[in-house]
Amino acid sequence: MGNDPANDDGDAKAPRDAVEVAPPREAVTVPSPRDAGQVMPPRQVAAVAPPRRRVLGVLVGAGSAAYAGALAWPATRFLTPAEAPRAEAAFVRVVRLDALEEAVPVRVRVRGDRRDAFTVTRELTLGSVWLRRTGNDVTALSAECPHLGCAVAVTEDRKAFGCPCHTSRFSLAGAAESGPSPRAMDPLLARVVDGWVEVAFVRYRHGSQHREVRG
Amino acid sequence: MSLGDFLDERTGYRKLTRELLDEPVHGGARWAYVWGSALTLSFVVQAVTGLLLMTAYQPSATTAWSSVMYISHELRAGWLIRGLHHYGAQAMVVLLGAHLGQTALYGAYKKPRELNWLLGLALMGLTLALALTGYLLPWDQKGYWATRVATNIAGSLPLAGAAIQRALLGGADYGHLTLTRFYALHVGLLPALLVLLLAGHVALFKRHGVTAREGAVAARTEPFYPRQLGRDLAVGLVVLAALFALTLRHHGAPLDAPADPASDYPARPEWYFLALFELLKFVPGDIEWMAAVGIPLALGGYLIALPFLDREPSRRLRPRLLLLAPLALAFVAAAALTSSSLLADAGDSGYQAARVHSDARAARAVELARRGVPPEGPLAMLAADPETRGPELFAQRCASCHRLGTLGPSADKLTAPTLDGFGTERFVLALLDDPDAPELFGKTPFKGMMVSFTRPPADPALAADFVPMPLEDRTAIAKFLAAEARGTPRPGSRGEILIKQHCTSCHRFDHNPPLDESSLGPELRGWGSLAWTTAHLANPGSGASYPQGAMAKDLEGHMPAFEEELSPAELSLLASWTLNEAARVAP
Ligand code: HEM
Ligand code: FES
Repeated sequence: MGNDPANDDGDAKAPRDAVEVAPPREAVTVPSPRDAGQVMPPRQVAAVAPPRRRVLGVLVGAGSAAYAGALAWPATRFLTPAEAPRAEAAFVRVVRLDALEEAVPVRVRVRGDRRDAFTVTRELTLGSVWLRRTGNDVTALSAECPHLGCAVAVTEDRKAFGCPCHTSRFSLAGAAESGPSPRAMDPLLARVVDGWVEVAFVRYRHGSQHREVRG
Repeated sequence: MSLGDFLDERTGYRKLTRELLDEPVHGGARWAYVWGSALTLSFVVQAVTGLLLMTAYQPSATTAWSSVMYISHELRAGWLIRGLHHYGAQAMVVLLGAHLGQTALYGAYKKPRELNWLLGLALMGLTLALALTGYLLPWDQKGYWATRVATNIAGSLPLAGAAIQRALLGGADYGHLTLTRFYALHVGLLPALLVLLLAGHVALFKRHGVTAREGAVAARTEPFYPRQLGRDLAVGLVVLAALFALTLRHHGAPLDAPADPASDYPARPEWYFLALFELLKFVPGDIEWMAAVGIPLALGGYLIALPFLDREPSRRLRPRLLLLAPLALAFVAAAALTSSSLLADAGDSGYQAARVHSDARAARAVELARRGVPPEGPLAMLAADPETRGPELFAQRCASCHRLGTLGPSADKLTAPTLDGFGTERFVLALLDDPDAPELFGKTPFKGMMVSFTRPPADPALAADFVPMPLEDRTAIAKFLAAEARGTPRPGSRGEILIKQHCTSCHRFDHNPPLDESSLGPELRGWGSLAWTTAHLANPGSGASYPQGAMAKDLEGHMPAFEEELSPAELSLLASWTLNEAARVAP
């Protein structure tokens, strides 16, 4: 191949005006710029005619944008997970009705299967709820503080709920009384079946006035 | 003052850009020069997609496979990202070959570019190391077994082999630490080194400029921008388009079944290492490192020495042909070995069958995993799956004597009843009709123990009194027993009454011994149910199915007990699968 005289670079009618011609050398070893102390002034190396150069410039720009876009688009999709389809919260058995004293708030754990990405763990403690019995009915309040999610406890005088983090206070019915909490404690659906209390465990987003399910 | 001026005053970026874009391309732009840029662009694709994969991938023996499954099947565009990374790795290997070939042909390794040639070789080594370490990360059968082979070769090296292997594995065996080590190499050390060396490679390239083709005319020298940059970008786009096409066509990257150290798996490396793999077939085991490590080392040594061997300033090809011959030979030999390996596998029905089995297992694993993987990992998930584990256990434990569906010995080699349809009405009717049929007890030590209810006995004295049982009664019995087997019993039905009248002289029923205490007739209450069958597999002579006599030594060829070989969970899984399968393939 090296011996082949008919290569396209051997075109003697190449436009010479734009280029500083290196002196002919044996085997046309083009010197590297720094070896020869030679710097090419931009004007002099413009081998491509300006209109063509402009078209090529646009093409190169478009090509680069396409390249970047082809990577950026899937990347963006990948990093922004779709909202998980919201399943109806199922009722979970938490405690026997007999175990609850009339009107006394009791905190119980909710157990169930938890899915974390690909892992499903069976029978895990998912969280806890405050239950209060009135006759054969039970009301349930999420133990997560609506402010920023700390665990709400009963105050020392046992007359209200209090959050230890930023001292929000709620009535035993859950109404916000003082402190930064933007809303009342979150009520959960509760029912009694065959002598067992069952709760539909849902998590809500913190920090807003409106109650929005956290998926 | 524009923002551009503001920045330029402080950084001088305009001059830098101009310098980069006006970089002279000696002898003019050529398609032959695109390979280095294409490689760099491909590395950018790998870095971007690799970083994205890192946001979801979890390197541990119990989570790696599941996280890759999750990327491929659950996360949005995950299949696309993973596919691009998977095929991008292969593209880089192809482009490396092109880049190496082009620079060798053009004599670009010659003075003053020797060091840059060496840097290029180091970059090639790093890229191959990235491909090798990445292959393990999904912790699927393919990656696991290929890596086992590769690290065993490292372990067979003289002197330091064992220590090297331990260091790679992070211990004596393959597990969490093997993965984290490969992961640290793959996303940490190797890419960092690659970026560093690539920077040096590009800097030296800028210093010396491109090696123009022999005979190039200096007068055609032109700036890098726009024509050479345009070509580089065009090829980069074509490569990217090819990656998208491959990814779309295969809907992402393949994922084999979860790595199972206890399985039989026909290990094959990724195609670019197939030549080495094939080579090992011809080399005796005790010196295989000489082939697997020695030959690549020799080739590497030759490539390193090349610029120092070839000191002729002229870049004409003809005088260098002899020096380049080993490289050409290596390309040809690699192509030949690779195709020989592919041909061998294509013609090997055993390999094909193993592949089919593994693919089916992989598909099932993904199906199960999408419903959730237990914290113990995907192997535990598969082990608890009757559809996967059932046929495996059946093939190992039962199929030497019993036939079920496509498993088991051919008709002439049967030594136990065929289980197709076991537990169904038809099966019971067949038993009542001809218990000694070859597919029932005919070829077992129990032959002659059960009477037919439709055919007179051979003994003429008994045959005289024989009255066949009407079909209606047989059907009632069959219905009753099939209901027991399905686990939906019909107590008090006519079938039960008939059994008490006709069968309990030989059979146990509700654990009452038969009239003929020496009879080996099995318990009929719950016959063929999950509990009955599980107990039967644990120990056929426990009385829960057959009486103890069924295990007597002189009853040669009776069924063995499996309670010591299989766990209770495995016994019940095997019983459950067998019953389902028997119903599914019922004639
Ligand atoms: C900065 C650079 C890179 C990063 C951060 C990176 C990261 C990753 C990660 C996290 C995985 C595991 C996910 C999976 O298996 O799907 C992976 C797999 C892999 N990587 Fe990379 N990688 C990089 C560069 C490269 C390069 C340069 C190559 C090859 C030339 C390569 C080849 C592979 C291969 C073959 C796999 C297995 C992919 C499969 O078959 O699915 N990686 N990489
Ligand atoms: S989290 Fe409860 S008050 Fe802030």
